[in-house]
Amino acid sequence: MSAAIQASGLGKRYRRTWALRDCTLAVPEGRVVGLVGPNGAGKTTLLRLAAGMLAPTCGTITVLGERPAAGPAQLARVGFVAQDTPVYARMTVSEHLRLGGWLNPGWDNGLAQQRIAKLGLDPKQRAGSLSGGQRAQLALTLALAKRPALLILDEPVASLDPLARREFLRGLMEAVAEHGLSVVLSSHLVADLERVCDYLVVLVASRVRVAGEVSALLASHHRLSGPRRDPGTRHPAGQEVITESHTDKQSNLLVRTNEPILDPAWTVKPVSLEDLVLAYMSRTGDDTPTRQQQLGVVS
Amino acid sequence: MIRLSLLQFRVHAITALAAMAAFAILLAATGPHLASLYAASGISGCQPASCEHLASNFLQQLYAAGTYWVLYLLGVMLILVTPAVIGLFWGAPLIARELETGTSALAWTQSVTRTRWLTVKLTVGGLAAMAVTEGLSLMQAWWAAPIGRAVGHGGGGNYLAMGQFSSLVFATHGIAPLGYAAFGFVLGVTAGALIRRAVPAMAVTLAIFAVIQIATPLWIRPNLFPALRTVVAVTSLGSISLQQGGLDGSDFTLGAEALPGQPGAWLLSSGAVNAAGQPVRTTPAACTTPSVRNGPGFFPCLARHGIREAISYQPASRYWPFQWAETALYLALAVALAGCCFVRLNRRRT
Amino acid sequence: MIEFQLDETSGVATYLQLVQQVHQALRMGMLEPGERLPTAQQVVADLAINPNTVHKAYRELEREGLVRARPGLGTFVTRSPSGTDPATQARFLAELTGWLRSARAAGLDPDDVEAIYRTAFRACFAEGVA
Repeated sequence: MSAAIQASGLGKRYRRTWALRDCTLAVPEGRVVGLVGPNGAGKTTLLRLAAGMLAPTCGTITVLGERPAAGPAQLARVGFVAQDTPVYARMTVSEHLRLGGWLNPGWDNGLAQQRIAKLGLDPKQRAGSLSGGQRAQLALTLALAKRPALLILDEPVASLDPLARREFLRGLMEAVAEHGLSVVLSSHLVADLERVCDYLVVLVASRVRVAGEVSALLASHHRLSGPRRDPGTRHPAGQEVITESHTDKQSNLLVRTNEPILDPAWTVKPVSLEDLVLAYMSRTGDDTPTRQQQLGVVS
Repeated sequence: MIRLSLLQFRVHAITALAAMAAFAILLAATGPHLASLYAASGISGCQPASCEHLASNFLQQLYAAGTYWVLYLLGVMLILVTPAVIGLFWGAPLIARELETGTSALAWTQSVTRTRWLTVKLTVGGLAAMAVTEGLSLMQAWWAAPIGRAVGHGGGGNYLAMGQFSSLVFATHGIAPLGYAAFGFVLGVTAGALIRRAVPAMAVTLAIFAVIQIATPLWIRPNLFPALRTVVAVTSLGSISLQQGGLDGSDFTLGAEALPGQPGAWLLSSGAVNAAGQPVRTTPAACTTPSVRNGPGFFPCLARHGIREAISYQPASRYWPFQWAETALYLALAVALAGCCFVRLNRRRT
Repeated sequence: MIEFQLDETSGVATYLQLVQQVHQALRMGMLEPGERLPTAQQVVADLAINPNTVHKAYRELEREGLVRARPGLGTFVTRSPSGTDPATQARFLAELTGWLRSARAAGLDPDDVEAIYRTAFRACFAEGVA
């Protein structure tokens, strides 16, 4: 399967700060990719680079095999919904659809009209007076009706209430089921991503911490709890400790390994996606796991 | 993309058409009366000797009436200000508003490149700007035609009597307004593209436009073509400005306001010179006696001492070359600025 | 037709939940051989989940031999899971319901019941450690 987004050493700098650094990814097509990370991690930068709204400072990025925004053909294959789902406040809903039709040769007007009708949007209403959820749905309709191969969404549900959020994701998943498009969406809410994503990228402090298929990630990460092990203890090769915390009697670890865990002292439990993401997000530095000392343990 | 540009332009278009309609009504209400006043003045078909007198009377009549002078000025101001208004309200927000509201993320991720997007937007806005400004200019020219003809016959004596090369008249007639309109609009778009916020871009557009529009008649226009120089007898001068100063009128400056034999010429500079062609400011001793210097014999006295008037000027026949040259200059400037916009837009640094 | 539910707090992978619900429905007689499972589109419209998850669940069920995908027509149940028939299932359901009623009458709250159940379940089926 070819890559929806391929980045190599991708970096973006604004004046002095690096918003994104050393980003190397190969996100496969036909997936719903979740891009998670705290605010300011570089998610918007990465997505805008992929959508062709920004040019890299260093490194390369190709989207569906071409440079982003390389020409009208490439632009037609990628749909983008930016943060806060911008729309033209003074234009009506139906005028936005006309915009889509005029600017996109691949525009599917039937699909657009159907979606608008199903969502209950008034075509004559000005986009500026729509609610947040309605605006997000309008923006999604515009992006879907141009029939892209890849849809990029930057925190599309961040400012929506839970019902609107669910409706948005429902509409998105229905579109994926119907048209088989690839989706990359960013969020800092992990719970939503668990339902819809089958590929995950965790971005923290402008770097990629972990990337892979959700099922593979969940299969290779485990929570270990057992009697206290000193923080310095060596672990078997092939086992990488992501986070660990110790009390005077107990140790809890989150490890990544593809080998079976043979030490009988450990109780092994599966890891939820949220735990996994939080673990990677709380890691400081490049490779050092955080050590949380609880209850004032003296080593 | 064209249809989208027109859709997004409709509010501007309606405003412009409303303004033009209001102006047209104003002119249509008063134009025919002005024309009838001109017909009654007897200037058309006048004898060469009496033309100047009749023309001046006519202009005096208009000036005294008040409304015509006000309307004339209003029209002139409107035409001068329109390119700036267009630059501020059509040009500056074009890119800046898209960036401020974030709709650029919508506009530039459809299947249209930024280059095409901007090309169409600049073309639609630019053509509209030129049409509106030139439209106003043509309406004004139709209405003020009698005034122009009166001035052409040598009428003078009040502010209505502005020659075709005078700053206000040159800038509001002919094709110069096209150049200003294109420039003003593209200046606004460029400011918006570089500053990325609409209100500061509007301020910068206004400032730069004002500076350039003041600098052009002062320093650029006079040098578009090399001036012609001639020396004429001081006694042949018609309207002049004479200043005598110093002890007993020992200094004088003589300025010519019209060039004999060259009606409608644009006088750039003039001054008295001696027989050798050098500038002269000292009154010859013989001409300083009060009876001479205050009487009609002053100029013959100067002439007897070999003093003549040197004038640098642009002939009236160069009016249209000047219009073309200045318009071309402004259009070239507009194109250069547009180039900056394209470069900035495609740079995608932020 | 079976209607799927999703328990986000259970910690069980979504596709597994779908598989388990089909198993459950087959055992309880709510799904019978020859019936069609909902299409991925229908499940997605209900639950707002990734359609690949549905495909994965249906593939797993097909691997277990419980369903068969017919291109263009849908996914159909082929047989029940081997072992008990719906009658046996109904008998144990009645017994357990009786037991639960008496436990409740005796004053046990749901947490007590759950703890008792899990202890007995583990002892009986010996949950494995990886």
